[in-house]
Amino acid sequence: MNSHDLLLIHTGTIIEEDSLTLGQLCRACGVHADWVISLVEEGIIEPEGKEIHCWHFSGVNLVRVRSALRLQRDLGVNLAGIGLVFDLMDELENLRGRLNITGDTHNMRY
Amino acid sequence: MQYKDYYKIMGLSRDASQDEIKRAYRKLARKYHPDVSKDPDGEAKFKELGEAYEVLKDPEKRAAYNQLGENLKSGQDFRPPPDWDEGFEFKGGGFTGGDTSDYSDFFEQLFGRTEFQSSNTGRHYGDHVRGQDSHAKIHIDLEDSYSGATRNISISTPEMNAQGQLQVKHRSLNIKIPKGIKQGQHIKLAGQGSPSSGSGQAGDLFLEIVFNNHPLYRVSETDVYLDLPVTPWEAALGAKIKVPTPESVVELKIPPNSRQGTKLRLAGRGLPAKTAGDFYVVLQIVLPPATTEQAKAVYQNMQQTLDFNPRQSMGI
Repeated sequence: MNSHDLLLIHTGTIIEEDSLTLGQLCRACGVHADWVISLVEEGIIEPEGKEIHCWHFSGVNLVRVRSALRLQRDLGVNLAGIGLVFDLMDELENLRGRLNITGDTHNMRY
Repeated sequence: MQYKDYYKIMGLSRDASQDEIKRAYRKLARKYHPDVSKDPDGEAKFKELGEAYEVLKDPEKRAAYNQLGENLKSGQDFRPPPDWDEGFEFKGGGFTGGDTSDYSDFFEQLFGRTEFQSSNTGRHYGDHVRGQDSHAKIHIDLEDSYSGATRNISISTPEMNAQGQLQVKHRSLNIKIPKGIKQGQHIKLAGQGSPSSGSGQAGDLFLEIVFNNHPLYRVSETDVYLDLPVTPWEAALGAKIKVPTPESVVELKIPPNSRQGTKLRLAGRGLPAKTAGDFYVVLQIVLPPATTEQAKAVYQNMQQTLDFNPRQSMGI
């Protein structure tokens, strides 16, 4: 047994798609539910489920909600502006990815 | 302590108007905001900018700062004269509005952090309220997701000590990286966030997974891409060639008449997520240089034998 085995190793849980409730998302981001609800109303983040009490959010929203908060606080961007920023950034990301990944696809069984 | 030239950081002259300062801040803030900017130094520049603006937007702080002298250069060693802030009343006066925890020693020395506690938290928790959740990023290699791994990360959390002062505490944690984790996914570590100020539970720690750039592979969601250089004859005639994947070297059959950029899919050899991704090989045809007589002869032979005009569709 080497010394490495003696160290404590933390095993976390992966936040799977659509696994966070409204309460968990708010607590994790340190924001009020009102703020998250207004982000949903603006279409900036999209939960699964129709009614508020059965909303489920995917893990990427942990980044989105906190990013939205900073954009509002630091740059004075309003909700509509935040939505626009995210849309444009998604598009940019998509285009950057496509610059690298081009060409026809031939499916092959290995 | 090093002198900081706040005017230089904001790209302004010392006689800039308050409106100019505001405009410069807005412009630079949009440019360097870490949520928008791809600049690798964006975050550091944004913090520096925030600190400069904190001082220059406030006429009183600005006047005091100006008094320190124009002849000082950025980075120069500096001690404020003992009576430098005489006549100014900003210490503890509530002028510092932002979250000053990231500001430099220079700022702290001059303007203090007295407002920090109330402006940062802005709310008072009872004794049993649980600590705040914290967030950090963890950078891993692609291979770590294929095989699972253990990574050590250090986390700094601001904590109140018994005297009610704020201290940054550094902790080191060994984290198990689960197999198949994707870029942007989060790992939650219960109870590893900020401790409660009273006897409540500690918050949770959320780790966002970020993949390091890989010299060979690109990742998109669970799919992994490799640009594979091939010879013109391998592409034209078809071939069986060896291809590296993050797991092992595999043998890949290239179909005859493959074109530049052809994507070949190895199903299920992407990230081993719940639904495994695919591995794509993108063919990059590399021409051998015509530097020897023999090589030239081969190209001349092709020229004479093949009736090939790649510009046919252009009508020329």
